[in-house]
Amino acid sequence: MIDLQIIPFAIISIIMIGSSIMVVKSKEVVHSAFHCVIAMMSAAGFYVLLSAQFVAVVQILVYVGAIGVMILFAVMLTTREQEVES
Amino acid sequence: MGTFVELYDGIMELLVVLFSTWALAPWVRGVLGGLVIGAVFGGALVMVYLERKFLGDIQSRIGPNRVGGRFGVLQLIADAIKLFTKEDIIPAKADKWLFIGAPIVALTSGFLMVAVIPFDLLVINGKEYAVAVSRMDISILYLEAVSGLAIFAIFMAGWGSGSKYSLLAGFRNVAKMIGYEVPLGISIISVAVMAHSLDIVEIVQAQSTLWYIIAQPLGFVVFFIALLADVGRIPFDQTEAEEELVAGWATEYSGMRWGLAFFAEYLHAVVGAFIITLIFLGGWNGLPLIGNLNIPGIFWLIAKTIMVIMLFIWVRGALPRYRIDQVIDIGWKVLIPLALLNLLWSTIIGLIWA
Repeated sequence: MIDLQIIPFAIISIIMIGSSIMVVKSKEVVHSAFHCVIAMMSAAGFYVLLSAQFVAVVQILVYVGAIGVMILFAVMLTTREQEVES
Repeated sequence: MGTFVELYDGIMELLVVLFSTWALAPWVRGVLGGLVIGAVFGGALVMVYLERKFLGDIQSRIGPNRVGGRFGVLQLIADAIKLFTKEDIIPAKADKWLFIGAPIVALTSGFLMVAVIPFDLLVINGKEYAVAVSRMDISILYLEAVSGLAIFAIFMAGWGSGSKYSLLAGFRNVAKMIGYEVPLGISIISVAVMAHSLDIVEIVQAQSTLWYIIAQPLGFVVFFIALLADVGRIPFDQTEAEEELVAGWATEYSGMRWGLAFFAEYLHAVVGAFIITLIFLGGWNGLPLIGNLNIPGIFWLIAKTIMVIMLFIWVRGALPRYRIDQVIDIGWKVLIPLALLNLLWSTIIGLIWA
């Protein structure tokens, strides 16, 4: 019998891989940053599946709450090309 | 009074028996969890009403007094109908997905926080049961982590609206949050150090003799100010400063989307009041010397939370808004050193006690 955990694992994997691809593919830097945040949050989902709650919470606290915000902060301080042209 | 306490205990005992014997226990738990979340949702509605009425008193106005009798109790329902029937506008320049996603992320973050808030601790047949949707070993850390997601909501709204005012508000929010998450986290750490636990239930149990507002008053002040900034209430609501940014990140929102984003803010404020009550004001414990007077803990918790909410509203009525650079200054130059000082203090006191 297949372990039922494969279902959430598959869902989270798809979200993580998809958003990781979108980080590279997005035209807009901000979209890349948000997809990066989603990928980090799905990593927290993996930790929950491994019943490592503490690591999951710290993953959200550090990677999403701090590094994700830092990436956004960096993005907002850089000028976009469109704005330079206009 | 005695019969009332017996009734409450009886109901709770019945629930515990249901949980432990019924085969469908997880489903029952899910339904009850939904009820708890609904109750906090209702609490946020009550806060909106209280805020209008109490703020009216502070500013020598009457407040809502037309819909639903003399006290305007049904004003919120009238507002909700108005918001639901308004046209849902998405600006042409908006980044559609970020624009739509922002209220959803804000509400999700609020509801996730409700999941670990304990309301009472019952001892039935020698076993302890926390009245909470979910009991975690690290619930206070979880709350801190999940509340951080609200930053993204405001940034998404600010960026997705495609308007300069909203964008400025989003920038301000991120700049403010980087400064204020740190003192918030440090004061939570000092509480956890003193209680020797990251579990809110144990933190509250550790306060049965002495509330932490007495043991570390500095920590309470720092936490309160940082929490006000975190939920964006008035001395720190630069993200939606009417005079400077029209309505900040909410400028382009209309109808129920605005309603949900606005409501998520109140939900965060209510959850914040619960956290303050739980980790500094003794949670479901009674008053320090008097004891709990045979009143069930959940009523103490809710009464204290309402007091904290009134304090929020009072602060809003009494103080003007800071400038954005002053806010950043306060965060980095005042609150963080004070929080570190408090961490030192609570570590020393905690060691002496232990």
